[in-house]
Amino acid sequence: MSSENKTPLLSVRNLVVEFSTRYGPVRAVDDISFDVYPNETVGIVGESGCGKTVTGLTLLQLIPMPPGRIVQGSINFDGRDLTKLSEKEMQEMRGSDISMIFQEPMTALNPVFSVGNQMIDVLRRHKNLTRRQARELAINMLDTVGIPAPRKRIDEYPHQMSGGMRQRVMIAMALSCGPKLLIADEPTTALDVTTQAQVMEQIVKLQDEFHMSMILVTHDLGVVAESCDRAIVMYCGNIIETAAIDDLFHKPQHPYTRGLLDSIPRIREERITELPIIRGMVPDLLHLPDGCRFADRCPRATDECRQDKPVVNIDPVTGNGVACYHPMG
Amino acid sequence: MSSVAPEPVVDETVVDDGSAHRESIWAKTVYKLRRDRLGMVGLSVVLLYFIVAIGVWLGIWATEWGDVEGPKWAPMSAEYWFGTNIIGQDVFARAIYSTKTAFEVGLVVAVLSTIIGALLGALAGFFSGTWIDEIILWLKGVLDSIPFYLFVAAVAFALSGNPYAMHIAMVSTFWTTTGRLVRGEVIKLKNFEFVEAARAIGVPQVVIIFRHILPNTFHILLVQATIVFVAAIKSEVILSFLGLGVQDGVSWGLMIAESTQEVLAGFFNNFVWASVFLFGLVMAFNMFSDALQDALDPRKVASE
Amino acid sequence: MEVLQYAIRKLLGGIPLVLGVTFISFLLMVYFGPDKTYELLGKNPTQEQIDEIRHELGYDKPFMVRYGEYLKQMATLDFGASDSTGEPVSKVLARTVPISLALITPGFILGNVLGILLALIAAYHRSGPIDKYIMGFSVVGMSISFLIVVIAFQIIFSSSYGLNAFPVRGWNVHSFSDYLRYITVPTLATIFVALGYNTRFYRAVLVEEMTRDHVRTAKAFGTRPGKLLYKNILKNSMIPIITRIMFSIPLVVVSGSLIIESYFGIPGIGKVTYDAITTGDQPILKAVVGLTAVLFVITLLITDILYRVVDPRVSLK
Ligand SMILES: Nc1ncnc2c1ncn2[C@@H]1O[C@H](COP(=O)(O)OP(=O)(O)O)[C@@H](O)[C@H]1O
Ligand code: SF4
Ligand SMILES: [Mg+2]
Repeated sequence: MSSENKTPLLSVRNLVVEFSTRYGPVRAVDDISFDVYPNETVGIVGESGCGKTVTGLTLLQLIPMPPGRIVQGSINFDGRDLTKLSEKEMQEMRGSDISMIFQEPMTALNPVFSVGNQMIDVLRRHKNLTRRQARELAINMLDTVGIPAPRKRIDEYPHQMSGGMRQRVMIAMALSCGPKLLIADEPTTALDVTTQAQVMEQIVKLQDEFHMSMILVTHDLGVVAESCDRAIVMYCGNIIETAAIDDLFHKPQHPYTRGLLDSIPRIREERITELPIIRGMVPDLLHLPDGCRFADRCPRATDECRQDKPVVNIDPVTGNGVACYHPMG
Repeated sequence: MSSVAPEPVVDETVVDDGSAHRESIWAKTVYKLRRDRLGMVGLSVVLLYFIVAIGVWLGIWATEWGDVEGPKWAPMSAEYWFGTNIIGQDVFARAIYSTKTAFEVGLVVAVLSTIIGALLGALAGFFSGTWIDEIILWLKGVLDSIPFYLFVAAVAFALSGNPYAMHIAMVSTFWTTTGRLVRGEVIKLKNFEFVEAARAIGVPQVVIIFRHILPNTFHILLVQATIVFVAAIKSEVILSFLGLGVQDGVSWGLMIAESTQEVLAGFFNNFVWASVFLFGLVMAFNMFSDALQDALDPRKVASE
Repeated sequence: MEVLQYAIRKLLGGIPLVLGVTFISFLLMVYFGPDKTYELLGKNPTQEQIDEIRHELGYDKPFMVRYGEYLKQMATLDFGASDSTGEPVSKVLARTVPISLALITPGFILGNVLGILLALIAAYHRSGPIDKYIMGFSVVGMSISFLIVVIAFQIIFSSSYGLNAFPVRGWNVHSFSDYLRYITVPTLATIFVALGYNTRFYRAVLVEEMTRDHVRTAKAFGTRPGKLLYKNILKNSMIPIITRIMFSIPLVVVSGSLIIESYFGIPGIGKVTYDAITTGDQPILKAVVGLTAVLFVITLLITDILYRVVDPRVSLK
């Protein structure tokens, strides 16, 4: 999919995001670069705390500042560098050109307004519609995302809906203004297994229908295999491998990726909330080693690995890349 | 970061009471506190006041607070640093002496109401949903619904002339907030595994409450004690003005009450100096209390 | 209908509270309170005269009988006449309560409204210099005694050492401009003192709400800051805000007015009550304490109904 002749919709270069904490600055995202092409779905995987959510929020300039800060890097979206836009211009963009849905459907909606009220707000914020038109459109969207009896349910409050329904409402809201890019941050992690599958299926279907690109942040490599074109593997704020899905699953290059794949249960009967544990501890972002951040857990680590940090080298033909001195064959 | 979340225990004979965990929390708290500049300034000022109070208590200084030694309403001078009052007493000595009074009131009320709040709160929380809880909640509701100054006045008259009427009244109403917070925390704690484990191996309820649960509410008690201390010395001022405050000795409240007649005649020494002393201590205590709350709970709940 | 049923249940549920408050107050203020006997007698009274007065005042009846009579008075809202002046209690209340309300309402409302405004500004600029200034000011405000503020304001506004523009004390109100002249200094003092506590409390509430997921969601959909503040933050903070405001009403009416009225010599309910305590005017005390407790129960009820109005998740069950 990452055909070289197309221009990417989103192009992130050397992005560094830092949080100042009581104990010193923490680099939650450390020098990452990646592209997302039109209509493409890119998965971001990695253990909890590796910087996936911060990456997604930073694209929308939504990290809390302070304590957060974009130290360097550019985010080119549709010909504009988002890091250079004013807050006003950014507001115009959020929810209309780029939408984001979050992990926690239970708390992501405002509890004291009906879902219709919140959907209408979004529609009228970005489109020139009357209340009545916006309401009709909202009902249509609810129908599109598979909510039965949308005309009735639109006046319900979030607490009257199940988690799956709320997440569908979020999706409806996110798609209602026809965004070019959808950032889905673990959209199904908080749901039960059957609902997970249904909601994921719905997202993939709609992505196609709406001709959007999507960044799918997830713990679940199974989901990545089913719905992504390409995947980015993150570790301690770094991208350590990026590859087309088939390559990643059949010929993982990074020992960490390999470890992740090995630990996927053959039959996915139970929902996986955390990536299976690879032996050892993720280093603390405050005390990172000089060399490869995975070295302490890596079976292939050598002295070289501990001296300098390996960087990702992207193959111009395949678009794949890995940050490792001794990649797997 | 929730307050205290002790590790569950599997071992059958040794029941962990979360003490190891607690230690690390205290280490962290002290670390954070020491890095909080305003908090440390507050603490230093409070300690300075405390040394002054101890000096008074030991009879080292301000012994002449009650002597009538100068002319009435003398201005500030080398002899009378803060001038004298209406009958010629040294305002400086009285302001210094009042530091002891403030600590007496603050400490007695803070310590006693914290103890009562901890006990009743723990009982209510541990037996939540039973009649014990109901009664304690009822008592709290009743005390909260009697207007404070009326209550103090009533206690003062009921105890006719007892010098501790004010303290008693404050203690009997100031425990309620502490009690409510402890109750909430205990309800949370009692479902932790270390408590259930203790119960499962038959540790008596009293031991569970005092050894396993109450120590884990210490952070609430500490913060509440600082808040009550401040409330007590501030209330003393109003009560002294109403004639219900400190009965023997002198206090900043009494000095300010005394000054209400003087200021309109243009004599400000009593008023200004008592106010400055009182403000300094309360402000310092507030700063320290804030830092303590920050260090113990970075989210700082909006409970009060 | 749902609301009515709920109201009745809630009011009945408030009975133990009213009983508790009246019992404790009765015990303290009436049973152990000052004895009026000798005040009402001339010099060297005979035992007969003493007994007669004690009988008239009801002092000779057993405790429970006297308390029972009190409860009957509560139920019928008939508290008799003041021991000191002979004026019916209902008349005393009708005369003094409006004065107290007129005196404290402006300060109470402004103290809360300004507190919320300052809190919004501080919370919006969270961790920035504006926030630090506002919070610094609020800690200073919290650290100054009410009495000091009252005295200082009196020096500044009402004495010849300051502006000398407002009456020092009293309540000689015949027109709206009189009213404004008399309430200005007490109101300014009330606002000053309340503002520190209020700003701090409301800021904590607002900041807590600001960190919630739904606020992030609203931002992610391009919501403008003004709308975010109103629709996601203020609206969702209404429960703690309502709680604070409602619960301070009964206390402010009595305790708050007591200090101001004593200091400024204003004949409101606070001053009357305080005088009643010092002189042992039992009918007045019984009425004030009992009615305050009832006011508390009604406040609880209204608060619950308001919760229901601002938050659809609350059910009146
Ligand atoms: N507001 C914040 N303040 C300080 N550190 C933060 C903040 N938000 C995130 N971080 C840090 O960024 C790191 C990455 O977090 P996140 O992106 O949420 O991880 P995940 O991959 O699980 O989504 C975390 O380890 C955390 O320490
Ligand atoms: S660089 Fe070395 S330590 Fe790091 S992953 Fe590759 S082999 Fe392992
Ligand atoms: Mg995340």
